[in-house]
Amino acid sequence: MVTKHRTIKNLLFALLILAIVLFAVFPFLQMVSTSLKYSWDWGNPSLVPLKLNWESYGELLGIGQDIKDLPESVQILLEETPDLTREQKEAIIAKYRDTGDVFPFGKYFLNSLLFSSSSALISLVIAILGAYSFSRMEYKGRRVIQRGVLFVYMFGGILLLIPLYKVSVALGLAGTQGGTVLSVLIIYVVQTLPVCLYMLGNYFRTIPFSIEEAAFIEGLNHFQTIWKIILPLSISAIATVYIYAFMIAWNEYLYASVFLKSYKDIYTLSIGLKSLFVSKNAIWDRIMAASMLTALPVVILFLLIQKHLTGGMTSGGVKE
Amino acid sequence: MKGTLQQQQARLGVRLIAPAVVIIGLLIVYPVFYNLFLSFHDVKLSGESSFVGLSNYAAVITDIEFWRAFLTTALYVFFTTLGTTLFGLVVALAMNRQFPGQGVVRSLLLLPYIAPVISVVFAWQFFFDPVNGIFMHLVVDQWGLYPERFNLIRSPRYALWVAIVFSVWKNFPFTYLMILSRLQAIDENLYEAAEIDGCTGIKKFFYITLPEIYFVLGSIVLMRIIWNMNKFEDIYLLTDNVKTLPVYTYFKAFTGALDMGQGSAISLIQFAILISFIILYVKKVLKW
Repeated sequence: MVTKHRTIKNLLFALLILAIVLFAVFPFLQMVSTSLKYSWDWGNPSLVPLKLNWESYGELLGIGQDIKDLPESVQILLEETPDLTREQKEAIIAKYRDTGDVFPFGKYFLNSLLFSSSSALISLVIAILGAYSFSRMEYKGRRVIQRGVLFVYMFGGILLLIPLYKVSVALGLAGTQGGTVLSVLIIYVVQTLPVCLYMLGNYFRTIPFSIEEAAFIEGLNHFQTIWKIILPLSISAIATVYIYAFMIAWNEYLYASVFLKSYKDIYTLSIGLKSLFVSKNAIWDRIMAASMLTALPVVILFLLIQKHLTGGMTSGGVKE
Repeated sequence: MKGTLQQQQARLGVRLIAPAVVIIGLLIVYPVFYNLFLSFHDVKLSGESSFVGLSNYAAVITDIEFWRAFLTTALYVFFTTLGTTLFGLVVALAMNRQFPGQGVVRSLLLLPYIAPVISVVFAWQFFFDPVNGIFMHLVVDQWGLYPERFNLIRSPRYALWVAIVFSVWKNFPFTYLMILSRLQAIDENLYEAAEIDGCTGIKKFFYITLPEIYFVLGSIVLMRIIWNMNKFEDIYLLTDNVKTLPVYTYFKAFTGALDMGQGSAISLIQFAILISFIILYVKKVLKW
C-alpha cells in the first residue's frame, strides 16, 4: 500500500513539474515552430511543421538571397553581358537588394551589439571603482551612497524619460545622429550602473581583507591592488555583471523608441522589430525567426553565467 | 605629509566613487527634480516653456482617461503581484525537492525572465491570433466555448487579463528563485521536531515554512509592486489595449499633442502614489 501511494505521489509530482516547464517554455516552442513553418501551415495547431521552411532565417541572415530578389530580366541581362566587370555586376545586384523591403536584420543586430557591449563596458569600469570604494574604504557619506544605490531602483523608466529627452533636445544632442548615439549610450550606462555597483559591492565584500593587507605590505597602492588582486580574484563575478548589464541594454525598448525614432540607421533590434512588424499577417515566419535570433545571444550568454547569475539575482542584485 | 593614512584612504575612496555619483546624480536625481519643474510648465519641445502653475495637474485629475488608467494600473499591479508570488511559491516548493533532471528544469524555467520582451511578445500574439492561434483553435473549434474566433489580445475585455498572465509568466522565475533560496536555508530540525509532534504536511507548511519565508515573501511583494507599477514594455509591446499609468504617460508625452507637461505631472502623481504605498507597506507588513 505504502509503495503504491508513493508511486502515485511521484507521478503527480512529475506531472506538476512537467506542467510548470511546459508553461515556461511553450511560447519558445511556438516561436521555433512558427519560424520554420510555411504560411499554409500556420493555422495547423500542431507545433511540428509539416514541411521545414528555412527561408525566413536565410532572408534575415542574408544567405542565398543574392540572386532570388533580382527580376528575371535583370538576371538574364547579367548573364548575357560578358563585358560587365565584376564590380559593375555587384553594383547592379546590390541596387536590387537595397530596394526590397527586406528587414535589415544584420544592421540592427550590429547596432544592438555596439550599444549594449560598449555601455556595459563603461558601466562596468565605473562600477568596479565605485564598488571597491564603498565596500572597502571608510569615508563620510559612504553609507548614504550605498543606500542611495538601492533607492534609485524605485524610479521607473517613464519617470526619467521625459526630463532626459527634454535635456537631450535642449543640449542639441537629439537633433543629430551622433548626439543621439551619445545620449542613448549614456542613458544605458546609467540604467545599468546601479545594478553593477550593487552586485559588485556584494561580491567584493566576500573577498578576505587579509589578502589586500598582504598586498599593501608588499608596497602595492590601491590601484595596483585593484588591478592585480581584486580583478583576478573576481573575474567570474565581473563577467557575470558585464553580461547582466549587456542583457539589460540589449532588451531595452522604451528609451530606444523615443530617442532613436527618426534615425533608422541606428535602430536597435527591439525597436526595429516593433516598427517593421506592425502588420503581421503576412510575415509570421519572419517575425518568429527574427524573434529567435534576437533572443538567442541573450540566452547563450545567460547559459554561460547561469550559476553565478542566479546567485546574484537572489541576493537582490536585480533591476527591471 | 598629506595627512594620516586614513585621510588619504578617505580621499581616494571619494575619488573612486565620484564618477558613479556624478553620473547617477546628473542622470537620475537631477531629472527627477527637473520633471517636477516641467510639470508646472506648458512644455514646448523646442523653445521657451511657460509657467502654468498647477493647471497640468488639474487637467490630469479631471480627465476620465487618467482615472481609467489608474484603475487599470491598480488591477494590473494587484493581480500580477499576487499571481507571480503565488505561482513562484508553488514552483519553489516543487523545486525544493530533489529529482532527476533538475538542472535542466532550472535552466528552462529561467528562459521567460531573461529573454527580450520584444521577442517573446510575438509568440504570445501568435498564440492568441484569431486566424492562426492555438488558443482560438482550442476554445472555439475544440471546446466550443465561444461561437466564433476573435482577437482576444486586443479585446478591451480580455486584454488586461492576457497582460496579467503574461507578466506572471515573465516574472515568476525571479520570485521562485528568491523563495527557493530562503526555503533551502530553513533548518531541517524544525521539520523533524514538528513530525515528532505529529504535524502533517499541510500543518508543517503553515506553522514552519510560511513563518520562515514571511519576510522574503514580504520583500518580493514589495519589489514586484514597485516594478510592475513602473512596467512599460511588458504591456505596451504585448497589446495596445491596456493603458496603465506608464503607458498612458507615454502616449500623452510622445504621441499626438506631445503634452510633456501633463506627462510629467502623471508620472509624478504615479511616483507619489508609489512612495506613499511603499511607506505604508514597510510600516504595516514588514514592520521595520
